[in-house]
Amino acid sequence: MNSYSDVVAKIVNDYLDRLKLQLRRIPAREQDELLKEIQSHIFEAYRRSSDEDETERILAVLRRLGEPSDVVSDRLPEAMVRSGTRRILPMHVIAGILIALFGVPLGFGGAAVLVGVLAALAGAALAYFAAAAGVLLASGALGLLGLVRIYQPALWDVLVVRGVIEPPPAEFFDALSPAGQGFLMLTVAFVFAAAGVVMLWLGKYLIRGVRFLFGMVCDWIRRWAQSARRAVRRQLARDSEFGGAVLRAFRGPVNGEQT
Amino acid sequence: MEYREEERDRRITQLKKGILELAVMGALYHEPHYGYSLVRVLTEDGSISLKEGTIYPILARLDRDGLVRSEWVESVQGPPRKYYALTPAGRQLLGDLRQEFDLLVSLVKREWNAGEESETAQRKLLLRKR
Repeated sequence: MNSYSDVVAKIVNDYLDRLKLQLRRIPAREQDELLKEIQSHIFEAYRRSSDEDETERILAVLRRLGEPSDVVSDRLPEAMVRSGTRRILPMHVIAGILIALFGVPLGFGGAAVLVGVLAALAGAALAYFAAAAGVLLASGALGLLGLVRIYQPALWDVLVVRGVIEPPPAEFFDALSPAGQGFLMLTVAFVFAAAGVVMLWLGKYLIRGVRFLFGMVCDWIRRWAQSARRAVRRQLARDSEFGGAVLRAFRGPVNGEQT
Repeated sequence: MEYREEERDRRITQLKKGILELAVMGALYHEPHYGYSLVRVLTEDGSISLKEGTIYPILARLDRDGLVRSEWVESVQGPPRKYYALTPAGRQLLGDLRQEFDLLVSLVKREWNAGEESETAQRKLLLRKR
């Protein structure tokens, strides 16, 4: 596009860049084709426009062309669907493995089994997080006791006498000074806290996995519903007499139609 | 009560979308076009205004469905142009769509108190609509 002046070329390139952004999800080859086509369009339109000021001219051309989103409007959903299918491919692999391993039958029975498996997984995830919370709670309690042992030895003694807490029946523990015992408890508390945090952190993988499985199942159900709906529609179209009957049933007899 | 302006615009856009595809096929019926020349023939009498970019998604869809075929042709001046032509399948479909369109138009323009003769049109339409 050597016939553009610098300013015009800059405006055009800016527009094309914005268009490229919109096209990110479209396969590279299609992207390239569309970009070339739009470049040609801009060139032809610019060549034929008749305004004194070149900036005005190119801006008018782009205004008539519309926003980049207009140019891709209908293409986007389709391309999204396509890239979505590509992403779902590993799900099919996993589904295949699941079916191979457990012999999960397809159909309603399979769906029921799947729902069961998912519920179990969700339950396991919940239990996992409950455990993590338990570890963190224990760490907090132990830390608190450690502090009490160090700074409030009298309170500690009262608690021990009343049987609220029971010091570990280990000799080495008795051999330690109160501060040493407190320090030991604090150390253990820290280890527990670290373990709890690590558990929570690892939990995100669990969540991701469960979400992935849920997404997969939802996708299956959606597709199954779609194909079922399509089959019904095709059937109605094929059997137009039946279609007419259904229409009549929904809308009442059509004017002038013999029934 | 007055209708809202954006409501009207949205509906007009909706209407245009479907009909524009038909108009594009109609224009390609007579001769091949590239995107910009297509826009020109569609808007030359000034009766329809459209965002020119919307023509490309339509062409892509027609291409994908095998109703048009496309070909890059070098231009004497400037970048190459992508020409589109209606395929035989596209020609056939256009014939059917035109009939359906006429039916719809007659229904839209129908004088509702005119009586008998236009009822056949309505009945045909309902039966076709699955």
